[in-house]
Amino acid sequence: MAGQSDPHLSIFSAEEVEFIAEDEMMEIVPNMKMDPLNLICGDFGPFRPQIATEVPLWLAVALKKRGKCTIRPPQWMSVEKLTQILEAERESPREFHPLPFHYVEISRLLFDHARDDIPDVYMVRSLIEDIRDVRFHKVETGLETISARTHAVKLKNLSAMEVNIVRPFIVRALQAFYKHDSPQMIPQPDTIGNRPPQVADRGPRVRAKSHMPLGTLADTL
Amino acid sequence: MSSYYDIDDIMMEDEFVSVVFQVAANGVGLLDPGAETNCVEQGSKVELPFWLSHELQLRQAVSVNIPACFNQKTRKEIQADAACVDLRNRCPYFYELGCKIAPLVGDRTIGSFLLYAFTGRYKEVLSKAHSAAIAVAPKFLTLFTKEETHLYEAARSSMAAFKKWRLGGPRFERASILGRKRKPND
Repeated sequence: MAGQSDPHLSIFSAEEVEFIAEDEMMEIVPNMKMDPLNLICGDFGPFRPQIATEVPLWLAVALKKRGKCTIRPPQWMSVEKLTQILEAERESPREFHPLPFHYVEISRLLFDHARDDIPDVYMVRSLIEDIRDVRFHKVETGLETISARTHAVKLKNLSAMEVNIVRPFIVRALQAFYKHDSPQMIPQPDTIGNRPPQVADRGPRVRAKSHMPLGTLADTL
Repeated sequence: MSSYYDIDDIMMEDEFVSVVFQVAANGVGLLDPGAETNCVEQGSKVELPFWLSHELQLRQAVSVNIPACFNQKTRKEIQADAACVDLRNRCPYFYELGCKIAPLVGDRTIGSFLLYAFTGRYKEVLSKAHSAAIAVAPKFLTLFTKEETHLYEAARSSMAAFKKWRLGGPRFERASILGRKRKPND
Protein backbone atom coordinates (compact mmCIF):
# COMPACT_ATOMS: atom_id res chain seq x y z
CA MET A 1 0.00 0.00 0.00
CA ALA A 2 1.48 3.29 -1.00
CA GLY A 3 0.49 6.87 -0.62
CA GLN A 4 -1.26 8.67 -3.41
CA SER A 5 0.38 12.06 -3.03
CA ASP A 6 3.61 11.20 -4.79
CA PRO A 7 3.61 8.27 -7.22
CA HIS A 8 7.40 8.00 -7.40
CA LEU A 9 8.47 7.84 -3.79
CA SER A 10 5.68 5.64 -2.40
CA ILE A 11 5.45 7.66 0.77
CA PHE A 12 2.44 8.90 2.68
CA SER A 13 1.68 12.52 3.21
CA ALA A 14 0.75 13.66 6.70
CA GLU A 15 -2.87 14.01 5.57
CA GLU A 16 -2.94 10.43 4.36
CA VAL A 17 -1.62 9.17 7.67
CA GLU A 18 -4.29 11.21 9.39
CA PHE A 19 -6.89 9.62 7.13
CA ILE A 20 -5.73 6.15 8.19
CA ALA A 21 -5.84 7.21 11.83
CA GLU A 22 -9.47 8.22 11.53
CA ASP A 23 -10.44 4.53 11.59
CA GLU A 24 -9.33 4.19 15.22
CA MET A 25 -12.22 3.54 17.59
CA MET A 26 -13.24 6.26 20.00
CA GLU A 27 -15.80 6.36 22.80
CA ILE A 28 -18.51 8.97 22.51
CA VAL A 29 -21.50 9.98 24.63
CA PRO A 30 -24.36 10.96 22.32
CA ASN A 31 -26.95 13.50 23.34
CA MET A 32 -29.52 12.39 20.79
CA LYS A 33 -31.48 9.27 19.97
CA MET A 34 -30.63 7.54 16.69
CA ASP A 35 -30.97 4.06 15.24
CA PRO A 36 -27.83 2.00 14.61
CA LEU A 37 -25.78 2.99 11.57
CA ASN A 38 -25.13 0.04 9.28
CA LEU A 39 -22.11 1.05 7.23
CA ILE A 40 -19.76 -0.95 5.03
CA CYS A 41 -17.02 -0.61 7.65
CA GLY A 42 -19.28 -1.91 10.40
CA ASP A 43 -22.40 -1.31 12.49
CA PHE A 44 -22.31 1.49 15.04
CA GLY A 45 -24.83 2.45 17.64
CA PRO A 46 -27.64 2.44 18.64
CA PHE A 47 -27.24 5.96 19.95
CA ARG A 48 -29.10 6.83 23.17
CA PRO A 49 -28.60 10.00 25.18
CA GLN A 50 -25.94 9.64 27.92
CA ILE A 51 -25.17 6.02 26.97
CA ALA A 52 -21.58 5.71 25.79
CA THR A 53 -20.85 3.86 22.54
CA GLU A 54 -17.85 3.15 20.35
CA VAL A 55 -17.51 4.69 16.90
CA PRO A 56 -14.60 5.39 14.54
CA LEU A 57 -12.84 8.69 15.01
CA TRP A 58 -14.14 10.14 11.75
CA LEU A 59 -17.72 9.49 12.83
CA ALA A 60 -17.04 10.89 16.28
CA VAL A 61 -15.63 14.07 14.76
CA ALA A 62 -18.55 14.37 12.36
CA LEU A 63 -21.10 14.00 15.19
CA LYS A 64 -19.13 16.37 17.41
CA LYS A 65 -19.09 19.02 14.70
CA ARG A 66 -22.89 18.90 14.63
CA GLY A 67 -23.08 19.06 18.41
CA LYS A 68 -24.60 15.59 18.70
CA CYS A 69 -22.14 14.07 21.15
CA THR A 70 -19.20 14.59 23.45
CA ILE A 71 -16.03 12.62 22.83
CA ARG A 72 -14.45 10.75 25.73
CA PRO A 73 -10.70 11.24 25.36
CA PRO A 74 -8.77 7.94 25.39
CA GLN A 75 -7.25 6.69 28.64
CA TRP A 76 -3.70 7.64 27.76
CA MET A 77 -4.71 11.24 27.13
CA SER A 78 -4.70 12.33 30.75
CA VAL A 79 -2.14 14.48 32.52
CA GLU A 80 -1.03 11.72 34.93
CA LYS A 81 -0.62 9.09 32.21
CA LEU A 82 1.23 11.44 29.89
CA THR A 83 3.54 12.66 32.67
CA GLN A 84 4.40 9.03 33.40
CA ILE A 85 5.07 8.37 29.74
CA LEU A 86 7.24 11.47 29.40
CA GLU A 87 9.32 10.41 32.39
CA ALA A 88 9.66 6.89 31.02
CA GLU A 89 10.76 8.27 27.66
CA ARG A 90 13.38 10.45 29.29
CA GLU A 91 14.68 7.66 31.47
CA SER A 92 15.30 5.15 28.70
CA PRO A 93 17.49 6.75 26.04
CA ARG A 94 17.35 3.80 23.64
CA GLU A 95 13.82 2.44 23.97
CA PHE A 96 10.49 3.85 22.97
CA HIS A 97 7.58 3.65 25.35
CA PRO A 98 4.53 1.90 23.85
CA LEU A 99 1.97 4.47 22.80
CA PRO A 100 -1.01 4.14 20.45
CA PHE A 101 0.21 3.76 16.87
CA HIS A 102 -1.65 6.91 15.85
CA TYR A 103 -1.22 9.04 18.96
CA VAL A 104 0.07 12.08 17.05
CA GLU A 105 -2.88 12.13 14.65
CA ILE A 106 -5.54 11.30 17.25
CA SER A 107 -4.35 14.04 19.57
CA ARG A 108 -4.23 16.55 16.74
CA LEU A 109 -7.79 15.69 15.64
CA LEU A 110 -9.15 15.87 19.16
CA PHE A 111 -7.40 19.18 19.84
CA ASP A 112 -8.90 20.57 16.66
CA HIS A 113 -12.46 19.39 17.10
CA ALA A 114 -13.08 18.45 20.72
CA ARG A 115 -11.06 20.85 22.85
CA ASP A 116 -13.88 21.24 25.38
CA ASP A 117 -14.05 17.48 26.02
CA ILE A 118 -10.40 17.15 27.10
CA PRO A 119 -9.65 18.08 30.71
CA ASP A 120 -6.52 20.27 31.09
CA VAL A 121 -6.23 20.63 27.35
CA TYR A 122 -3.23 22.98 27.42
CA MET A 123 -1.29 20.75 29.75
CA VAL A 124 -2.14 17.63 27.74
CA ARG A 125 -1.15 19.34 24.54
CA SER A 126 2.24 20.50 25.77
CA LEU A 127 2.92 17.09 27.29
CA ILE A 128 2.24 15.37 23.99
CA GLU A 129 4.49 17.84 22.21
CA ASP A 130 7.24 17.15 24.74
CA ILE A 131 6.86 13.40 24.35
CA ARG A 132 7.05 13.71 20.60
CA ASP A 133 10.17 15.87 20.79
CA VAL A 134 11.93 13.49 23.16
CA ARG A 135 11.07 10.52 20.96
CA PHE A 136 12.18 12.24 17.79
CA HIS A 137 15.47 13.19 19.37
CA LYS A 138 15.94 9.50 20.17
CA VAL A 139 15.25 8.60 16.55
CA GLU A 140 17.87 11.07 15.39
CA THR A 141 20.54 9.80 17.75
CA GLY A 142 19.64 6.28 16.67
CA LEU A 143 20.07 7.19 13.01
CA GLU A 144 23.64 8.25 13.72
CA THR A 145 24.53 4.62 14.23
CA ILE A 146 23.54 3.65 10.70
CA SER A 147 26.66 2.54 8.89
CA ALA A 148 27.71 0.39 6.00
CA ARG A 149 26.90 -2.79 7.94
CA THR A 150 23.31 -1.74 8.58
CA HIS A 151 21.06 -3.86 6.40
CA ALA A 152 17.78 -2.95 8.08
CA VAL A 153 16.52 -0.66 10.78
CA LYS A 154 14.26 -2.07 13.45
CA LEU A 155 12.01 0.53 15.03
CA LYS A 156 9.90 -0.88 17.83
CA ASN A 157 6.94 1.09 19.20
CA LEU A 158 7.47 4.01 16.86
CA SER A 159 4.20 5.60 15.82
CA ALA A 160 2.83 6.03 12.31
CA MET A 161 3.59 9.71 12.01
CA GLU A 162 7.08 9.38 13.43
CA VAL A 163 7.89 6.60 11.00
CA ASN A 164 6.44 8.67 8.21
CA ILE A 165 8.70 11.63 8.95
CA VAL A 166 11.94 9.69 8.87
CA ARG A 167 11.03 7.21 6.14
CA PRO A 168 12.35 9.14 3.10
CA PHE A 169 15.63 9.89 4.83
CA ILE A 170 16.21 6.36 6.14
CA VAL A 171 15.38 4.70 2.84
CA ARG A 172 17.78 6.96 0.94
CA ALA A 173 20.52 6.62 3.50
CA LEU A 174 20.25 2.83 3.53
CA GLN A 175 20.28 2.73 -0.26
CA ALA A 176 23.39 4.90 -0.39
CA PHE A 177 25.21 2.79 2.18
CA TYR A 178 24.14 -0.36 0.38
CA LYS A 179 25.49 0.97 -2.90
CA HIS A 180 28.82 2.04 -1.47
CA ASP A 181 29.29 -1.18 0.44
CA SER A 182 28.44 -3.49 -2.46
CA PRO A 183 30.98 -6.23 -3.15
CA GLN A 184 31.85 -4.73 -6.55
CA MET A 185 32.95 -1.50 -4.92
CA ILE A 186 34.71 -2.99 -1.91
CA PRO A 187 36.75 -5.95 -3.15
CA GLN A 188 37.55 -7.66 0.18
CA PRO A 189 34.88 -6.81 2.71
CA ASP A 190 36.66 -8.71 5.46
CA THR A 191 39.64 -6.39 5.52
CA ILE A 192 37.59 -3.37 6.47
CA GLY A 193 36.74 -4.64 9.90
CA ASN A 194 36.46 -8.09 11.35
CA ARG A 195 32.98 -7.56 12.63
CA PRO A 196 30.53 -10.42 13.03
CA PRO A 197 27.70 -10.47 10.49
CA GLN A 198 25.15 -9.71 13.19
CA VAL A 199 26.15 -6.38 14.66
CA ALA A 200 24.76 -6.02 18.16
CA ASP A 201 24.36 -2.25 18.11
CA ARG A 202 22.38 -1.33 15.06
CA GLY A 203 20.46 1.74 15.97
CA PRO A 204 17.25 2.06 17.90
CA ARG A 205 15.17 -1.06 18.28
CA VAL A 206 11.97 0.25 16.93
CA ARG A 207 9.59 -1.99 15.06
CA ALA A 208 7.30 -0.41 12.56
CA LYS A 209 3.91 -2.01 12.15
CA SER A 210 4.08 -4.65 9.52
CA HIS A 211 1.91 -2.77 7.05
CA MET A 212 4.17 0.27 7.07
CA PRO A 213 7.60 -1.06 6.19
CA LEU A 214 10.49 1.34 6.48
CA GLY A 215 12.35 -0.15 3.60
CA THR A 216 14.49 -3.16 4.14
CA LEU A 217 17.58 -3.96 2.22
CA ALA A 218 19.19 -7.32 1.90
CA ASP A 219 22.44 -7.88 3.66
CA THR A 220 25.39 -7.48 1.39
CA LEU A 221 27.23 -10.40 2.89
CA MET B 1 19.50 2.90 -8.75
CA SER B 2 20.38 4.55 -12.01
CA SER B 3 18.13 4.11 -14.98
CA TYR B 4 18.14 5.20 -18.58
CA TYR B 5 15.95 8.22 -17.89
CA ASP B 6 17.57 9.22 -14.62
CA ILE B 7 18.54 12.87 -15.13
CA ASP B 8 21.24 12.70 -12.48
CA ASP B 9 22.79 9.72 -14.21
CA ILE B 10 22.84 11.61 -17.51
CA MET B 11 24.35 14.72 -15.94
CA MET B 12 26.92 12.64 -14.14
CA GLU B 13 28.14 11.14 -17.41
CA ASP B 14 28.83 14.67 -18.62
CA GLU B 15 31.54 15.17 -16.01
CA PHE B 16 34.96 15.68 -17.56
CA VAL B 17 37.75 13.23 -16.93
CA SER B 18 41.23 13.47 -18.30
CA VAL B 19 42.35 10.74 -20.68
CA VAL B 20 45.51 9.92 -22.62
CA PHE B 21 45.09 8.93 -26.22
CA GLN B 22 46.75 5.60 -26.99
CA VAL B 23 46.37 6.03 -30.74
CA ALA B 24 46.44 9.00 -33.04
CA ALA B 25 42.97 10.05 -34.12
CA ASN B 26 42.24 11.89 -37.33
CA GLY B 27 39.46 14.43 -37.76
CA VAL B 28 38.69 14.95 -34.08
CA GLY B 29 40.86 18.00 -33.49
CA LEU B 30 38.06 19.78 -31.71
CA LEU B 31 38.47 17.42 -28.76
CA ASP B 32 41.94 18.82 -28.07
CA PRO B 33 41.96 22.62 -27.87
CA GLY B 34 45.76 22.67 -28.14
CA ALA B 35 45.92 20.73 -31.39
CA GLU B 36 47.21 22.60 -34.41
CA THR B 37 45.92 20.20 -37.00
CA ASN B 38 42.57 18.46 -37.15
CA CYS B 39 43.83 15.38 -35.37
CA VAL B 40 44.81 14.24 -31.88
CA GLU B 41 48.35 12.94 -31.50
CA GLN B 42 49.13 9.68 -29.78
CA GLY B 43 49.95 10.25 -26.10
CA SER B 44 48.25 13.62 -25.83
CA LYS B 45 46.25 14.40 -22.70
CA VAL B 46 42.68 15.51 -23.34
CA GLU B 47 39.65 16.23 -21.15
CA LEU B 48 36.64 14.27 -22.34
CA PRO B 49 33.18 13.72 -20.91
CA PHE B 50 32.85 10.50 -19.01
CA TRP B 51 30.48 8.85 -21.46
CA LEU B 52 32.89 9.41 -24.35
CA SER B 53 36.00 8.32 -22.47
CA HIS B 54 34.20 5.18 -21.33
CA GLU B 55 33.32 4.21 -24.89
CA LEU B 56 36.80 5.03 -26.19
CA GLN B 57 38.40 3.06 -23.43
CA LEU B 58 36.34 0.01 -24.32
CA ARG B 59 37.88 0.30 -27.80
CA GLN B 60 41.32 0.74 -26.22
CA ALA B 61 41.77 4.14 -27.88
CA VAL B 62 42.40 5.99 -24.64
CA SER B 63 43.44 5.30 -21.07
CA VAL B 64 41.57 7.06 -18.29
CA ASN B 65 43.38 8.94 -15.53
CA ILE B 66 42.03 9.11 -12.02
CA PRO B 67 40.07 12.38 -11.68
CA ALA B 68 41.39 15.03 -9.36
CA CYS B 69 38.64 14.54 -6.80
CA PHE B 70 39.99 11.07 -5.98
CA ASN B 71 43.64 12.08 -5.63
CA GLN B 72 45.77 11.85 -2.52
CA LYS B 73 45.18 15.49 -1.56
CA THR B 74 41.43 15.07 -1.41
CA ARG B 75 41.82 11.81 0.47
CA LYS B 76 43.95 13.53 3.10
CA GLU B 77 41.40 16.29 3.47
CA ILE B 78 38.55 13.80 3.82
CA GLN B 79 40.52 11.97 6.47
CA ALA B 80 41.11 15.21 8.35
CA ASP B 81 37.50 16.38 8.43
CA ALA B 82 35.13 14.75 5.99
CA ALA B 83 32.25 17.13 6.62
CA CYS B 84 34.13 20.34 5.80
CA VAL B 85 35.46 19.36 2.37
CA ASP B 86 33.74 21.22 -0.45
CA LEU B 87 33.02 18.19 -2.60
CA ARG B 88 30.39 19.90 -4.71
CA ASN B 89 33.02 22.27 -6.04
CA ARG B 90 35.32 19.39 -6.97
CA CYS B 91 32.70 17.12 -8.45
CA PRO B 92 28.96 17.40 -7.82
CA TYR B 93 28.54 13.73 -8.70
CA PHE B 94 31.40 12.59 -6.53
CA TYR B 95 29.92 9.25 -5.43
CA GLU B 96 28.27 8.32 -8.70
CA LEU B 97 31.36 9.14 -10.74
CA GLY B 98 33.50 7.27 -8.24
CA CYS B 99 31.39 4.14 -8.59
CA LYS B 100 31.58 4.24 -12.37
CA ILE B 101 35.21 5.19 -12.71
CA ALA B 102 36.66 2.71 -10.25
CA PRO B 103 36.48 -0.26 -12.65
CA LEU B 104 37.82 1.86 -15.54
CA VAL B 105 40.99 3.01 -13.82
CA GLY B 106 41.43 -0.25 -11.95
CA ASP B 107 41.93 1.48 -8.62
CA ARG B 108 40.50 -0.77 -5.93
CA THR B 109 40.89 1.79 -3.16
CA ILE B 110 38.31 4.18 -4.61
CA GLY B 111 35.42 2.07 -3.37
CA SER B 112 36.48 2.07 0.25
CA PHE B 113 37.42 5.74 -0.01
CA LEU B 114 33.88 6.56 -1.18
CA LEU B 115 32.38 4.57 1.66
CA TYR B 116 34.68 6.28 4.14
CA ALA B 117 33.79 9.72 2.81
CA PHE B 118 30.08 9.00 2.82
CA THR B 119 30.10 7.57 6.34
CA GLY B 120 31.89 10.67 7.59
CA ARG B 121 29.64 13.12 5.82
CA TYR B 122 26.41 11.21 6.51
CA LYS B 123 26.45 12.27 10.16
CA GLU B 124 26.79 15.88 9.12
CA VAL B 125 23.81 15.61 6.79
CA LEU B 126 21.77 13.87 9.47
CA SER B 127 22.50 16.36 12.21
CA LYS B 128 21.34 19.23 10.06
CA ALA B 129 18.58 17.68 8.02
CA HIS B 130 15.70 17.44 10.48
CA SER B 131 16.42 20.53 12.53
CA ALA B 132 17.21 23.13 9.90
CA ALA B 133 15.00 26.18 9.62
CA ILE B 134 12.54 25.96 6.79
CA ALA B 135 12.89 29.13 4.77
CA VAL B 136 16.60 29.85 4.92
CA ALA B 137 18.93 28.23 2.40
CA PRO B 138 21.75 27.19 4.70
CA LYS B 139 25.40 27.80 3.96
CA PHE B 140 26.56 24.24 4.43
CA LEU B 141 24.31 23.14 1.60
CA THR B 142 26.92 24.43 -0.84
CA LEU B 143 29.37 21.79 0.38
CA PHE B 144 27.12 18.82 -0.31
CA THR B 145 27.27 16.72 -3.44
CA LYS B 146 24.12 15.86 -5.36
CA GLU B 147 23.52 12.64 -3.49
CA GLU B 148 23.93 14.31 -0.12
CA THR B 149 21.65 17.14 -1.17
CA HIS B 150 18.96 14.63 -2.13
CA LEU B 151 19.31 12.97 1.25
CA TYR B 152 19.11 16.31 3.03
CA GLU B 153 16.10 17.38 0.98
CA ALA B 154 14.27 14.12 1.72
CA ALA B 155 14.53 14.73 5.43
CA ARG B 156 13.88 18.44 5.31
CA SER B 157 10.80 18.24 3.11
CA SER B 158 9.15 15.49 5.14
CA MET B 159 9.79 17.45 8.34
CA ALA B 160 8.40 20.61 6.74
CA ALA B 161 5.31 18.74 5.55
CA PHE B 162 4.74 17.41 9.05
CA LYS B 163 5.07 20.86 10.61
CA LYS B 164 2.65 22.26 8.09
CA TRP B 165 0.15 19.53 8.89
CA ARG B 166 0.54 20.04 12.63
CA LEU B 167 -0.10 23.76 12.45
CA GLY B 168 -3.25 23.06 10.51
CA GLY B 169 -4.86 25.60 8.29
CA PRO B 170 -7.80 25.21 5.99
CA ARG B 171 -8.63 21.52 5.69
CA PHE B 172 -10.94 21.77 2.76
CA GLU B 173 -10.26 24.12 -0.07
CA ARG B 174 -13.33 25.72 -1.48
CA ALA B 175 -13.58 25.40 -5.22
CA SER B 176 -13.36 28.83 -6.77
CA ILE B 177 -16.50 28.22 -8.81
CA LEU B 178 -18.66 27.86 -5.68
CA GLY B 179 -20.29 30.94 -4.28
CA ARG B 180 -20.07 32.80 -7.53
CA LYS B 181 -23.35 34.24 -8.63
CA ARG B 182 -24.79 33.21 -11.92
CA LYS B 183 -25.28 35.84 -14.50
CA PRO B 184 -28.95 36.58 -15.08
CA ASN B 185 -28.78 35.61 -18.75
CA ASP B 186 -27.46 32.06 -18.01
